[in-house]
Amino acid sequence: MVTVRGINGRAPDVFRPGAWVPMREYSESEPVDFLIIGTGAGGGTLACRLAEAGFSVIGLDAGPWFRPLEDFASDEAEQTKLYWTDDRITAGENPVQLGSNNSGRAVGGSTVHFAMVSLRFRPEWFKSRTWLGYGADWPIDWREMWHYYREVEEALKIAGPLQYPWGPPRPRYPYRAHELNAAALALAEGCEALGISWTETPIATLSAPRGLAPPCVYRGFCVTGCSTNAKQSALVTWIPRAVAAGAEIRDHAMAGRVEVDGNGRVTGVHYHRGGGWHFQKARNVVVAGYAIETPRLLLNSATDRYPAGLANSSGLVGKYFTVQSNQAVWGLSAKEIRAYKAPPSLALTEHWNYDDNKDFFGGYAYMSQGPLPQLWARTQADAHGLWGEALMREMENYNQQVGLKMVGEMMPQEGNRVTLDDATDQYGLRIPKVEYSWCDNDRAMIRHAMGFMRRALEAIDCREIWDQDNDTCHMNGTARMGDDPRTSVVNADCRTWDIPNLWICDGSVFPTVGGVNPSLTIQAIACRTADRIKALAARGEL
Amino acid sequence: MKTRAAVAHPLSALRSGADIAKPILRREPDYRRDATVRAARRLNTASGTLALSVLLDSALEHYRGSFKNPAMVTPLIVSALTLGVSAHGTADRRPAAHRMREIVYGAGALAGLAGFLFHSYNVLKRPGRVAWQNFFYGAPIGAPWAILLSGLLGSASERVRDNKPGRARVLGLRAGRAMAAVSGIGLLGTAGEAGLLHFRGAYHDPFMFAPVTIPPAGGLLLLREAARSGMRERRLARVGMRVVAALGLIGVGFHAFGVQRNMGGWRNWSQNILNGPPLPAPPSFTGLALAGLASLRLLEEHGDA
Amino acid sequence: MPDRYPGYDVLAKRHTPSWNEKTRQVIDERLAVSREPRFLTKAEFETLEAIAARIVPQPSTRPPVPVAALIDDKLLRDRQDGYRFPGMPREREAWQRGLAAIDAEAQASHHRPFHELAADQQDALLRRIEVGESHDSAWDEMPAKTFFKHRLLSDIVMAYWSHPTAWSEIGWGGPASPRGYVRLGYDARDPWEAAENRGDMEAARARNRRVG
Repeated sequence: MVTVRGINGRAPDVFRPGAWVPMREYSESEPVDFLIIGTGAGGGTLACRLAEAGFSVIGLDAGPWFRPLEDFASDEAEQTKLYWTDDRITAGENPVQLGSNNSGRAVGGSTVHFAMVSLRFRPEWFKSRTWLGYGADWPIDWREMWHYYREVEEALKIAGPLQYPWGPPRPRYPYRAHELNAAALALAEGCEALGISWTETPIATLSAPRGLAPPCVYRGFCVTGCSTNAKQSALVTWIPRAVAAGAEIRDHAMAGRVEVDGNGRVTGVHYHRGGGWHFQKARNVVVAGYAIETPRLLLNSATDRYPAGLANSSGLVGKYFTVQSNQAVWGLSAKEIRAYKAPPSLALTEHWNYDDNKDFFGGYAYMSQGPLPQLWARTQADAHGLWGEALMREMENYNQQVGLKMVGEMMPQEGNRVTLDDATDQYGLRIPKVEYSWCDNDRAMIRHAMGFMRRALEAIDCREIWDQDNDTCHMNGTARMGDDPRTSVVNADCRTWDIPNLWICDGSVFPTVGGVNPSLTIQAIACRTADRIKALAARGEL
Repeated sequence: MKTRAAVAHPLSALRSGADIAKPILRREPDYRRDATVRAARRLNTASGTLALSVLLDSALEHYRGSFKNPAMVTPLIVSALTLGVSAHGTADRRPAAHRMREIVYGAGALAGLAGFLFHSYNVLKRPGRVAWQNFFYGAPIGAPWAILLSGLLGSASERVRDNKPGRARVLGLRAGRAMAAVSGIGLLGTAGEAGLLHFRGAYHDPFMFAPVTIPPAGGLLLLREAARSGMRERRLARVGMRVVAALGLIGVGFHAFGVQRNMGGWRNWSQNILNGPPLPAPPSFTGLALAGLASLRLLEEHGDA
Repeated sequence: MPDRYPGYDVLAKRHTPSWNEKTRQVIDERLAVSREPRFLTKAEFETLEAIAARIVPQPSTRPPVPVAALIDDKLLRDRQDGYRFPGMPREREAWQRGLAAIDAEAQASHHRPFHELAADQQDALLRRIEVGESHDSAWDEMPAKTFFKHRLLSDIVMAYWSHPTAWSEIGWGGPASPRGYVRLGYDARDPWEAAENRGDMEAARARNRRVG
């Protein structure tokens, strides 16, 4: 199904079936200012902002360039085409399930199938070591992030509540919150019964028309790809802007190795496209492949001069792989819920992110849920342990089920890591091996969250409540940023300490993950990086 | 009856007021008697227009609400009856109130009040209680005011019609001024509801500002006229009312375009006429503007109005 | 309780705005999947069919969802999950080895192939594998417990609930684009959604006839 679309001076018009828009093309032999590997929340955003700043930019993405209106079916099985399903090994005491919710493979990256939850970090998390006593400090001040959060919220026309109950004041969200579905009403009632605040989730899907994109139709297939274009993914926001500003995006282009010259500077990238290997010259290379592919590429780019991989003098490339706990509690309501309608997480509570009277570090949010049948059946099978008649009976209760699911801050641990396995993939590249084990703090938080969510379901009279204890989401931390080259891979500007024209811009740079979904923060960091690059370029410091 | 043709068509009230100077010059009691009847009939037309908007809008919205509560058919029945008696009143040239019309209009006003209470209860029982979410997506507490206004205008029309020669009073108040005030306040309130719903739509299209600027301006003009006594020309307010009345109809066009802009456009009508902008809502401005015009005419034509 | 949503059929909406062209194409292909194995051998396929009948038992009153055929099709296309646990081979090899091992377990304990065992014998054998009690050397290095949970169980339920028949039975709305949903609150149903039988079977059936 390999149809290269970003070629011959044109790109697919994501807003019109079968249509095209003109796209600038760069030659492989002429170095571009920035070659960005990956076009998701990090790379897509950065490509747009750098192109708009006047730099010559190429974005490579291993996946296809979809036109959602004509390419996306209302079908879970078909839409697995959005996932990164190349071979990977997952290991450790608590192996992370990959290949679906946390791994995207398309122009636009995982934002094409993300759940659109767009939350700001709690300010203290940027200095969690100093202020809260755990994890590591970010080298960025929260007030600066507040400014960039605003920019991203505006760029994605986030639909959110008029008053956000937690944290310092923030400007009004550009679009109004969506109507709550029954699953979200159930969350709200549970919170009110237990005396904690809840709110409508700030979410990256339109609640009113925007340009050629219609508002959300509440079809509920959000995490399998939005065929409405209401979802404000990088594919329909940053990427079209990038192309209009003169960036070239190459789809079906798998980066295999970043080339370094004798002076310790990168010169370009070897990538696979259209059946063969190519080399694109670049003055700067930005790796934005997310927390597994980014360290994998850096490790696979090892040379005699850098035998441990690029940008790895600290030895931390691939280390501190950190996901978020994504446990859930499910129950049956006496009412029809039909949680398949509307975006899955329309309401949330961040109460436990802002309450510091807990016997563990970090915090968590929890949100309403709306799994579609395949995912729900699999959850019943592998987390609830049902099969046979028991499974069939339970599945018949599909329209009554209510779920609350946490997004919890797991502790960064050096032992959780991405390394290279000896097996190779279809390109002949060594595949990544991901190891993950929970620590006591992780377990304490999960216990707390499951206990609390269970009470919330009991408070609204749910029956047959059960715990799903096996899920995780989001991946961060394998090229952490910091102030010290010995304990971090990049500085606050996402520039690697070791190689001045090699940058990393995605969730890998997070030193800690916080208790909210990371996409808004990844995009905010990308916007900040673009501004920093502009400033450095103006001073001749690139 | 000898002076003017029946005001049969709702839009006839929009007709140019070029010939209005003539009747103003005629001050004989007969003509003043006719003026109250004409005003009453125009108010019937206005009430009926509003009722039509309510009928279609509540049919749509309560269909969306699956008529879960049997009481949800009430506004349909009441507004349909209101529409009927308003047509009757518009055609009726007798200078006396009509029992059936009075009952239906009164029931309309009561139904509006009851609807307001029902809708408020619906909003307040939702999680979050007094919260934007519930004002946006709960039962609209502004909507029942339209049927209430329709009933009020209709009741007033009966009272205006029932005056003795030379008098134009409603509950002891000067009819023209009272009706201008009610219509003006109605316009402000309806604009408030449009404002709430257009705010929900984040004013994504600049034209969405039209119903929150033009009708309130018209409403204020009406209130100014309500405060000014005497038979004088009230041209600015009249022009204002015609613009507002037209806006109510143009609004349907904009909303039809809005439906097309939603996913699947008109082909996906079964979703988009419910989730897109409501087609029957804007004409409630037209109904109120017609009431405004009727009261302005009365003010211009009748010394006791 | 097969009549929870009496007469409801997701496919009745195929020509409504709930389905777009891409969806029609994808579902048509799925419904037309070859009932004969194209990747697995005849014997492997028989074992798989027998296993699937225990994991997702189907009523005999309607045409069955071809679970084994859908899995065979997935293997033929070599669709990957995107991750493997240590010791687990890739999808094709895992299934080949697992089916052989399950048959070998059946032979070892009952001297018959798996598909010839009685239903309770099959269940008992599957339950042993589920908890990792595997004996036969045919498993090789592959952990039986991991195979059961992450390959066998997962693939079978995903195949079953990829089929419109399964969607209709649980009252899911099914494909939904360009038309999504309007009524989102408690006990709220759009006219194009499944109506649950809550006492009045005929009323529910009448509503379900009109979803298309």
